[in-house]
Amino acid sequence: MTAIAASRLNFETLNRGLPAFVRFCTYLGAIAGVTAYSMYGPAGYGDEGLLYFLTPSSFAWAGIGALAGLASGFATGMARPSITEAKLSLNLVPWLDGALMMILIAAFWSMLEPNASLISYADQSNLISGRVIMTMNIVFLSSALLYITYLFAPVSIVGNLATATAWIGVYAGGSALLLRWYESYLLSAEIGHAPVSNLYEVFILLFCITTVIYLSLERRYQAKAMGAFVMALVSAGVFFGIWLSARGHADIKPLVPALQSYWMKIHVPMNFIGYGSFAVACGAGMAYLVRDHLEQKGNYSRLLAVFPSLDQLDQLAYKAVAIGFPAFTMATILGAAWASEAWGGYWSWDPKETWALVVLLTYGAYLHVRVSHGWKGRPLAWWTVAGFLVTVFCFVGVNMYLSGLHSYGSL
Amino acid sequence: MTMPAWFKPYLDRLSSMSLAIALLVVLALASVVGTVLLQNQMQADYLRQFGPLWYNVFRSLGLFDMYHAGWFRGLLGFLMVSLVVCLWRHTPRMIREMRKKRKAIIADKSLQRFHHLHHWTLKNTSSVLTLAAIKSNLHGWEKSIAESDGKTYVRSDKGRWNKWGYILVHSAILVILIGGWIGAHYGFRGTMNIVEGSTDNTISFVKGTGTGHLKMPFDIRCDSFFIDFYPTGMPKAFRSTLSIIDHGKVVIDHQSIIVNSPLYYKGVRIYQASFGDGGSDLGIKLFRLDTGKVETIKTRVYDTWHDPKTGVSLEFTNLRLYNIENMANPGEPKKFKDLGPAVEFILRGPGLKSVKVKSFMRPFIMNGQDRGTLMMVSMTGEDQDYEPFSPGLDFSNTTDWKLYRNFVEVLQKQKGDHSRKANFLAFKSALEHVFGKKLPDHFQQMGARIIQGMNNLSRVPWPFIPVLDDYDKVYYTGLELARDPGMNVVWIGSAMLVIGLCIMFYMPHRKLWLVLKQKGSDVEVTMGGVTNRNKLGFEQEFHGILMKMEEAFASSPSTGGKV
Repeated sequence: MTAIAASRLNFETLNRGLPAFVRFCTYLGAIAGVTAYSMYGPAGYGDEGLLYFLTPSSFAWAGIGALAGLASGFATGMARPSITEAKLSLNLVPWLDGALMMILIAAFWSMLEPNASLISYADQSNLISGRVIMTMNIVFLSSALLYITYLFAPVSIVGNLATATAWIGVYAGGSALLLRWYESYLLSAEIGHAPVSNLYEVFILLFCITTVIYLSLERRYQAKAMGAFVMALVSAGVFFGIWLSARGHADIKPLVPALQSYWMKIHVPMNFIGYGSFAVACGAGMAYLVRDHLEQKGNYSRLLAVFPSLDQLDQLAYKAVAIGFPAFTMATILGAAWASEAWGGYWSWDPKETWALVVLLTYGAYLHVRVSHGWKGRPLAWWTVAGFLVTVFCFVGVNMYLSGLHSYGSL
Repeated sequence: MTMPAWFKPYLDRLSSMSLAIALLVVLALASVVGTVLLQNQMQADYLRQFGPLWYNVFRSLGLFDMYHAGWFRGLLGFLMVSLVVCLWRHTPRMIREMRKKRKAIIADKSLQRFHHLHHWTLKNTSSVLTLAAIKSNLHGWEKSIAESDGKTYVRSDKGRWNKWGYILVHSAILVILIGGWIGAHYGFRGTMNIVEGSTDNTISFVKGTGTGHLKMPFDIRCDSFFIDFYPTGMPKAFRSTLSIIDHGKVVIDHQSIIVNSPLYYKGVRIYQASFGDGGSDLGIKLFRLDTGKVETIKTRVYDTWHDPKTGVSLEFTNLRLYNIENMANPGEPKKFKDLGPAVEFILRGPGLKSVKVKSFMRPFIMNGQDRGTLMMVSMTGEDQDYEPFSPGLDFSNTTDWKLYRNFVEVLQKQKGDHSRKANFLAFKSALEHVFGKKLPDHFQQMGARIIQGMNNLSRVPWPFIPVLDDYDKVYYTGLELARDPGMNVVWIGSAMLVIGLCIMFYMPHRKLWLVLKQKGSDVEVTMGGVTNRNKLGFEQEFHGILMKMEEAFASSPSTGGKV
């Protein structure tokens, strides 16, 4: 008991005060180093893409930056201890830790890649990322099962296992995407591109982002019962992903000219923060509806004890929309900026654009009825579910049923 | 400003939230219609799709160019009016409230109604000491202190400019709509297709149900066009080299543009959008099936050639230099192969079914064997219905044809006798007739092709086999030209929108009161908090402050404790 408390205490202290602040400065330094390398590096960033950063000199620049960050962080932290409690560093450090861990895991996978002579565009079945993604699928599915089990058997070990598997799934998915990025360059330097270019890749991104958003809400607000609903949504997506890969959509394909732009790396992930949050909001809404239903039927007190209160679920749904709405707005604006550079205008009433607008209008109306009409509870829970259906249509339906400029991820 | 009394109810209606929500929902539904119904297609296609009745209904509703239709514009205008009225009614009050001096004193009753409330009784201390402890633990809060009735009120605020979020977001949407309106009225956007080596200055665009044209104040010359493919046949890059000529003077000389990197001149952006065949010169060999004559015609892509002898016409639609196909069977690893240049044409003629044909220049080679010329025929005229058709002969040279014709002639001479032996002898004599004593290499493969030709060519209903002989490829580059004076307004609006949303969602107005009252040697402290948004987050923040206060009160210099 005391040992566990002590280790938890140690773990907590690592994420606070000087250790956290020094780590934060080290990361900033490394990022600054890589940025400086891409701007002032010996050869200059060109068409090499990712390969440009996988060179010894790039690592040297990043290392120098990290060391400088470490030293200055340590000095500042010692001189002015109050700065180490700055919210920015406290909030960002866990995310940066996670990013580093993901990169390290991906680096580990990359060592298992087959010999270069065995890698070919024509047959990509021997690439490691495919296997990692398969693992991710299984882990996410079992996480969903564990969360559902937790509803009926609320023992802490089941709950902890559910959370742990969800995290493992996130790291598997994230590292698989990073690995896929690297693999695309292994196929050929001209094929290489960020893994956000087709439906299969962004689906994996969506699983990870949805789960991360859910997990961060879970950690803050102890809302484990919601996980059963969110992870069920993720599982549905996992099955769709498996279907996509069975249909041969899982291969790494070269980029068409329209996608060859740095905007892709910004616009697409930003969109998925929006989609992911709306999925979480939908999960909270479904949890609300189920709890509401159970309460009215009575006799389910054991099951209800696991659920967060109605008010809490209502607030959690709002919280998720509050993350998703600004992110999705931002993503749409970034998309408009890209369109003005590629399509001859920032807005073309392309089906995807129009549906993005519909999504924004749907959640905009949600916020209006909530804030100024004081709507709460059941109707809004339904609204988050309906809103998510609109979102899903914007994400997948448009590609399946409507044609347009965004037809990169067509089926 | 005064307004007539009859006007006020309308104003209330316009700025009411129900109207705003209804507008948002109606806009969303209307937008969906335009994505389900394909916009700006050919009128004839619509007519075919919907029939005359619905075509006319949809057309009069402007559904074929919905986003530019009056009623949709009107809807957006209505949204703007509603926004203006909302802002006009709420902004002054909000600014006044934000600037107003914070009232520190709060009635007991109001305080008791707060959702977050905590109470301490501190022993053996003074309100002055407690006040000092409180003040040093509220970093980052705007504090105002007042005393009244023997009580000390500490009011603390965070994010009290939160209402700016509301103002910014709503005016941002107004600004974006204004930007869009400026663009729609004072800007333009259209396409210009320029054949390599030529110059153009007029764009065309969809206007209502027709096409509009607009002359640019400068000329664009397409110096050259370049396209590169991945090994899979997907286009990897296409690039135009352009020169801009303004009043006879070359102002931009040989500048390359690609997709995602437009050219900018005189407020006009010039985008690489598409490409196509610019009317390439074609040399087509016709192998006449009736007379056996071979003739060469000269024509061009997009031209239609009429055969005076048979009345058959060939409409040439495209010349594709690379035709990369996956040659692997389904389930096998992909094997990409370039089948070389091919010409596409539509063949029409009296008594013939119109078909689309893709005729390749080079023979199809598989496992080192020449399998003869490859053709693709689409009976429907659609690209996805192409079926391979193999005439058997290799039409890239004339020897196959000569041998074939000779063989046919010899066969015709020996009427009736179709035994294997007779056929073999006929083939042998044809071989000798064409090649003399010295047989060519691979004559066995050639024999196989001739036999296949005997089978397949007899079934061809056309009077001749057209085969691509030579070409001079010219591309046109498809440019998109746009000028949008409202674009920067839209960007300003977008920035306002993002900043406003961040303020609205992430800097909620949080109010915290601590009320101290000295009671003998004890101090009674009541802490209450309230927020307008993000209640869950505030719960935690309130709890954090509570913990801090607890710690501070416990360690204050008095012998204090709490009850």
